[in-house]
This record gives sequence, C-alpha cells and structure tokens, in this order.
Amino acid sequence: MVLLARTADRLYWGARYVERAEDTARIVRAYNDLVVDYPSDELLRWDPLAAIHGAAVDIEHPADDPAGERAVLRLLIEDRANTSSIASSVTAARANLRTTREVLPREAWQAVNQLAQYVDSTASAAIERQLRDRFLLRVVEISRRLDGVLESTMTRANPYRMLRLGRLVERADMTTRVLGVAAAGILYMERSDDAQQVNEEVRWMNVLRSVSALQMYQRRVRGPIDAMTAVDFLLNYSSFPRSVRGCLDEIRSVLVSLPAPQPVLVALDEAEATLATIDLDGAEAERLDSAMDRVQQAIATIDQAIHDRFVGTID
Amino acid sequence: MVEMQMDELIDPNGAPRPLASAVMDLIARLGEDELRARQELAELDIQTMGITFTVYSDGQNIDRSWPFDIIPRIIEGSEWDRISLGLQQRLVALNRFIDDLYNDQRIIADGVFPADLLDQSVNYRPQLRGFSPKFGVWAHISGSDLVRDDDGEMYVLEDNLRVPSGVSYVVENRGVAKRAFAELFERQRIRPVDGYTDELNRLLTSLAPDGCDDPQIAVLTPGIFNSAYFEHSFLAERMGAELVEGADLVVGDDDFVYMKTIEGLERVDVIYRRIDDLFLDPDVFREDSLLGVPGLIRSWQAGKVALANAPGAGVADDKVVYAWVPDMIRYYLGEEPIVANVPTYRTMYEDERRHVIDNIGDLVLKPANESGGYGILIGSRATKDELDEAVRAIEADPRNWVAQPILSLSTVPTLVDEGVEGRHVDLRPFVLTGETSYVTPGGLTRVALRKDSLIVNSSQGGGSKDTWIVDGRYGSMYDSSPPDSPPRSSQSQSQSQTQRGEDG
Repeated sequence: MVLLARTADRLYWGARYVERAEDTARIVRAYNDLVVDYPSDELLRWDPLAAIHGAAVDIEHPADDPAGERAVLRLLIEDRANTSSIASSVTAARANLRTTREVLPREAWQAVNQLAQYVDSTASAAIERQLRDRFLLRVVEISRRLDGVLESTMTRANPYRMLRLGRLVERADMTTRVLGVAAAGILYMERSDDAQQVNEEVRWMNVLRSVSALQMYQRRVRGPIDAMTAVDFLLNYSSFPRSVRGCLDEIRSVLVSLPAPQPVLVALDEAEATLATIDLDGAEAERLDSAMDRVQQAIATIDQAIHDRFVGTID
Repeated sequence: MVEMQMDELIDPNGAPRPLASAVMDLIARLGEDELRARQELAELDIQTMGITFTVYSDGQNIDRSWPFDIIPRIIEGSEWDRISLGLQQRLVALNRFIDDLYNDQRIIADGVFPADLLDQSVNYRPQLRGFSPKFGVWAHISGSDLVRDDDGEMYVLEDNLRVPSGVSYVVENRGVAKRAFAELFERQRIRPVDGYTDELNRLLTSLAPDGCDDPQIAVLTPGIFNSAYFEHSFLAERMGAELVEGADLVVGDDDFVYMKTIEGLERVDVIYRRIDDLFLDPDVFREDSLLGVPGLIRSWQAGKVALANAPGAGVADDKVVYAWVPDMIRYYLGEEPIVANVPTYRTMYEDERRHVIDNIGDLVLKPANESGGYGILIGSRATKDELDEAVRAIEADPRNWVAQPILSLSTVPTLVDEGVEGRHVDLRPFVLTGETSYVTPGGLTRVALRKDSLIVNSSQGGGSKDTWIVDGRYGSMYDSSPPDSPPRSSQSQSQSQTQRGEDG
C-alpha cells in the first residue's frame, strides 16, 4: 500500500499532537489531585508545572491567584500562544488529520473531530475547579478512544506505522518531561522559603500518577516509593508502555517494518546509548534535570531522522 | 404579482401528494417541537461526522458544518427513470459534441453549430486539437442542474462538465436522514445512493491506459483551502484512492506520472482531477500555476495517464452553448430530447436579441461563463438603471449572453424559523459517462432558506435536503396501529433481547 510522503508527515504529526494533548491532560490532572489533597492553608505553587513544555515561564501571581493556579492552567489548557497547550495541540492534530482522512478509519477521524469540538467549547471553562477534572479526563478518554479505534480497525501498514511512530516519540518525550518537572519542582522548593515541603513519597507518587504508572509501579516494586526507584521505573522498565525504554523498544519494532529505516535506527541506537549513560545514584534534582535534557535531545534526533527519511523526499 | 408555484410534496388543495403522505403524516404526528429536536440531532450528527464545506472569506474557520434541512424531497421512481434516461442521452450527445469540436468539427461544417461561437469560447483549448480520449468521452463526471417549473415539468437549467461538486453531500445527507427518520426508511422503498463511489471507481478504472489492469487511481485536489476539499477527501476515502496535491506528483522522463511516497516514486494511472483546466499544467496552460503538475498534459496525450474530466470538456458547459444541446441530441443521436432545456434566447441572433431587449423585464439574463450564480440579472427584480445597463452590455457583446423566461421554481416544505413552510429548490443529479452511463438516484437538492429567495448556493446561505426516489405507493405508515398508541416500545426490544440471551 502506497503512502505519500506528505501524508506520512501529517499522520506522524497528527498523532504527536493528540498524544501531547493527552499527556498534558494527564500531568495537569495528577498535579491537580495533589493540590486538592492539601489543606487550603498550605500554599502549593503551580509554577513547576509550567515547565512541562520546556518553556521557562514567568508566572504572575496576582493577589487573587497567589499560587499561580489560574495562570498556569490557562497556559497549559487554553493558551493559543502556547503551541503546546491542550487547545493548540488538539487544533494542530485536527488540522493534520483532516488532510489524511482517506487513509484513516472513519471513526478515527470522528474521534479527533469530536475532541477538537469538545476542547474548543469547553477549554476556557475548564480553568475553573468544578469542571477541570472532568475536562482533563475527557481529553484523555477521547484520545484513548482514538487509539482503540486505530488498534482495532486499522490495517497494519505504513499509515498505521507513521501514526504509531508519532505517538511513541511524543510519549517518550513527555515521560522525560514529567521527570523534568519533578526535578524542577524539587529545585523550586529547595529555593523557596514559603512553600510547603511536600514529603518525598507523596511527590513521587504524584510523578508516577502523571503517567498513569502508580499502580503498575506498586505491583512491581512492592515497597515505599522513593526517587531512585521511581526514576528507574519510568526510564528503564521496558515492560511498562510509557517508560522511555518501552517507547524506544516499540519505536524499533515499528521502524523495522517500514521501508529502508536504517538512518532512523542509527538515531535510535544513539538514544538508547544516551539512556544507558544516565547514572541514577541518588537521583538528585540538578542531575536529573540535565539528564532529562540529554534524553530529550536524543529523542529530538530520532524525530529529525524520521523527517529526513520519510518526509524529506517531498522536495 | 402572485407567483404561482408548485410544491413537490403538497398538492394545490393543501393535501400531501400520495408519495409524500408517510413523511407528512409523520411530521404532523411529531409536532413542531419534536421535529426541531430531530433537526438539532441531525445537525449535531453532521458536526460530529465532520461533514463540512469551505467558505473562503471566513478567517480561521475554514470549514463550516454542511447546512441540511431534515424534510426530504421526494420524486417518484417512474418519473426519475425517465429523467435519468434523458440525462444519459444528454451527456452522450454532449460528449460527441466535444469530441467533434476537437477533431472533425462536422457539426460546424453541417451548419448546425455556428463557427464564430467556438472562436469566442473561453473554455475551448486549441492546444488539444486532434486528440481524442478513450471512448471519445471528455466529460466523465457531470452535474446538470434541474428545476421544476409551475407546469410540473423538469427542465435542465445548466450543465456542469468541468469539476462539478456536491455528490459527497448526496451520500452524507442520506446517512443523516436515515438516522433522523429511521421509521420512514423501514417502510418505504427509497433507492439507495451509497453506490456512487463504486460506480465512480468502476468508471475511473475503465479509463486506465491500455494494458493496465489494476490501475493506481488518485484524486487531484488544489488543497485544503478549496471550497470542495471535503468532497475530494470523501471521494478518495470511499474509493480507496490516493488524495494528492500537485506537489505530490511528478512527470518522469518516460512521460509517466509518479507520486512521491515514502518508498520513492510510484506510478499513477488514472487521475480524477478537481483542479481547473488552466491550473493543471504550467507547461501548457498558466505558467504561474503552483497547483498543477508540469508535463501532465504531455503524459496524458502520450496515453501514459488518464484524466477525468478531460481538460477542455468545459467548452460544452458554456451557458450559450447550452442553447444548442437539443440540436446536438437530434444531430448526433437522431433522437428527440427526453428532458427539455429551459427556453433560451440567444442574443447573438438579431431577432432573438430584439425579443430579449423588448422583454428584458420578464427575463433572466445570464452571462456565458460565470458560475455560482454570479452576474445573473433577474429582470422583474432589477431597477430601470440595471435593465438599461444590461441592454448596453448585450449590445456590446451579444455572444456573451443568453436570456430565459423567469421560472417559478417548485418548493418543498422546509423547517424554518417560522415553522414548516415551502421554500424553492433545485436539483443536481450526477451523471457518469464512459463506456456506459450511470445517473445517481436523485441527486443534491439545494434549498433557498429565505422566503421567496431563489438563491440556493450553500456559500450564500442556502441549505440542502436529502432526495428520495421512491418506488410504489404506500398508505400511511401508521395505518396498522391506533393513533394514540405509543411508538414501538422498549418493552418488546428487551423481550427479544431476553429471548436471545436464553437461546444462546
């Protein structure tokens, strides 16, 4: 079955953007849970969460929003100027997949379309607490439904593989960002005087929950949650599908079914090598933060290799 | 002046016509609130399914939900069969005419069609003289617009032979209507419209260059900003064809057309092009076109790729050439036209021009080569100045105009703000012509949503309706149950489920 290079590009990016919206929703939702758990007299700041899309953002703290809650949520959920906000990601996903409808199962297009309509109509209201969790959950659910449709009804051929690649590259990247946010959070707290010291176990529980890994972690580790084990789980436990290594393994298995994947496999080998160099001893914040930067770089190299190999042929 | 008009579903005494009784009974039974609720559900359905059309001047929001009115238009099967034959006849003659113009020009030599009309045609492509595509067919996919006048007769208003749009909405409207009025579909024989893309696939396959048994088919679109992008995507999806843009294609040194795929270049054998002639190939037509493919016409003329519709086919959908279609049918086929033209005055002839100028207030004046309703003047609704200016325009360029009597288009009951009221409709069936012919059962009914308006174009606020070709006569669908009994209850459903459970 033929696959136009242009279509391959749009499938890949369409899938990346859906995954980005879903993962951002998961992360915000988990953080929201954490905040809600805390007594209202203990101020828990939202600033670290703003770091998930990699932007160093100055969040304003007006008197009626001292924790930066509304400002951060606006940035991550509805801000169109932030090209990675849920609203922007979903719009970009729809724009890409609208032009690949002929290769997508109908229900898949409808799921994406429905997601876009839901986000358009509801995103700004979701800044408020009452609607927030429902909104985030719904974004995750529709994204999952899309994956379900693709899994159960799409022919295993090159269009499907490009969608898988997009999902997996974005997912690996987002898992490293969750760890980066955790590091940023720790650093932030170490520096601030007024912030509550959230105890370590609760904080890492939240990190695991951000990628829906808590339960699987507990079944595997069966002990108290600590930084080192949690980081190791999310980076290296390949049986868990959202771990970085798990994503890289799957990227490999998708790539070998695509035509002439060698240049991308080279980039993948390098990413795995980078992952192997990460020394987890103690998992202190500074080192975790810079290690995640290195992994993200390696994933960006895979992305570039995919573009050069499968899309670059357009021109 | 009271305009007499005919309603498609209601007879002059205000009673439902026999074929419409089931629909009108149901509407009466539902009441306006329930009807509006169903209309809203249908609109939601359209939104969820992403059935859209594109409006150019709408800023960011390039795709709008397709406008749909829930009440169908109904045509009797036997009437449709006659119209359908008439359309096939018309397209066979039109294609003979086009092929003749590019080759022997017998019709001109025999004095049936005037030579100077051809000389001034903007859609004739002299570059293609001497070429004849497979089966001698140029306009493979056409959409002729039909209207019913107050005499009850259906007339062809114009032929669209270049890149006619709307067939995707014929299919999509049916899907929505089925959910909105499920109870009617269970009880009537309504001809299905789903087969169109299969027929199109068959046609395109038959056009493949000789020796190519399993052709690679592509739909060529100008891209996402085109008003008919939804349709291009729909057709590619339903046919399993590739949807390509000009930049995806390249013509090789061997004159074959190739697509740029992730595995390299792959050959394309048949292209259903939805780009206007002049933008198809910058080597032959407009040099500045970025939409097309350099070398495409060379490849086509070398027989390495098939193009549908053939470039140059538009020479026959000129609104002036239209006036000669009945003569073409007599000339090429030796038959009388089955479906009539609207009577048309040709201002290029002095006597007809005189008649037009003397009666301009009672006529519709149309320019030869505009589409989408642009440039049309309705005499009875024009000011004195506008009429004077029209007369000057006719005298300045008589070949560029035709005039027709003002028709009073038929109406169909339509759900509008004021309730259910008659609104004017037209109808665009789609005709496929190749080795054989095919006509869609029905077509796209467009409806003017404003009272007394004749503007049905969706870009100008018109709506659409599902079109039912119904066979046989049926009484009221509720005859078998007393009027106040509830609709079939969920009880019987759950009973049958229980039974199924016990059996299994």
